[in-house]
Amino acid sequence: MDILLQNFDLVIFLLLAILGYTAGSLAEKRHYRSIIKREKELLKMAVITAEGSFPPSKVKESALVTGSVVVSIDYFKRLLAILRNIFGGRVKSYESLVDRARREAILRMKESAKKQGANMIINMRLETATIGRNANKKKTVGSVEAIAYGTAIIMN
Amino acid sequence: MQFTPKQLVDNINVSKSHPLIELLWLLGGLILLSGLIFFILGITADWAVSKTPIKVETWIGQLALNEFPAEENQSLGEQLQSLLDSLPEESPLHQYNFRIFLSNAEDINAIALPGGNIVVFSGLLELMESENELAMVLAHELGHFAHRDHLSGLGRGLGIAVAATLLFGEESAASSLVSKALLTFQAKYSQDQESAADQFGLDLLTRRYGHAGGAIDFFSRLSEDAGNKLPYLLASHPHPKDRIDALEQHIKEKNYRVKATEPLADKILPETD
Repeated sequence: MDILLQNFDLVIFLLLAILGYTAGSLAEKRHYRSIIKREKELLKMAVITAEGSFPPSKVKESALVTGSVVVSIDYFKRLLAILRNIFGGRVKSYESLVDRARREAILRMKESAKKQGANMIINMRLETATIGRNANKKKTVGSVEAIAYGTAIIMN
Repeated sequence: MQFTPKQLVDNINVSKSHPLIELLWLLGGLILLSGLIFFILGITADWAVSKTPIKVETWIGQLALNEFPAEENQSLGEQLQSLLDSLPEESPLHQYNFRIFLSNAEDINAIALPGGNIVVFSGLLELMESENELAMVLAHELGHFAHRDHLSGLGRGLGIAVAATLLFGEESAASSLVSKALLTFQAKYSQDQESAADQFGLDLLTRRYGHAGGAIDFFSRLSEDAGNKLPYLLASHPHPKDRIDALEQHIKEKNYRVKATEPLADKILPETD
């Protein structure tokens, strides 16, 4: 018992890492399942880059659609990234985070387009931002925001 | 052109490797790196310590002493002097101007501060049952001076802090992680220092009294309520049982005799109500 109390910060550190790992990977698995399912459902909503103009007779309406999402890192991912900071190389623990954020943002954009009865989205753009800069500094929480926006076209 | 939407099966943007395996690799690398830093720093610190004049040490000691409210103790001083008198002529310890202080605190401990200052806590004195035991404790502290452990400990600590900060930045989480890893090495190093000081203490005790009686009495009383060995993995001192084993081994090797101990003069501790 004493050893736990003497190395209290070490114990907290380990607990947070274990909690981060279990909760983080559970959340990630669930998120990916939902992403894949919804991507299948929205497969028919075409996202394309178009040039020129649509014939006015064909387009009933066009609207801006956006989808944005903020995903936070967990303690375990941060630990891996901190260690990566020492040795360099691909920060693999953050790759899935950015991937999830991008796909979720596109999905939300598509969902909002579908709600408005759009048939397709043209000229989609993706932007990412970090909320909480210097995520690997002490006492800060890092998260990634992805925002997807485009023009929803509602055909006649 | 026909538009046929397809869902991607494979995700090329996310690495397939398992995060726990990555963690193992990175942690292994971290431990290796920390070990290397610790090794290099240790050599540098020990070299610097061997070149540090005792004058500088005394100055550092004066600064350290301000942290401990303690009074110089006459009868402890006499005990220490008799130990110093039995040191060989060429011992470097003779260059020190030793002062011994008694601090009124519960801690069962004695500290060697730089510059020949020894602080004994009254909690330790209360546990002493014979003069030989006390002499063993004092001789152990003299051992730290002989090996200049307090300075190398200081040097290593400073070196670790500076190196971690320089390499990874002051506020970065990486530097605290590296410091934590270094702590493990530090504990091992510190335990080795304590064992070396124990050996020195035993030799000096035998020189002073002609026998090694009382060398392990105190530790065997400590070991009774020391519990199991697990907490001592990261501690600065070895487990009392291990210290006893090492001392007994040393007594056997050197063929020291163990005779009866002398009772402690009871004027050391100030009268308390």
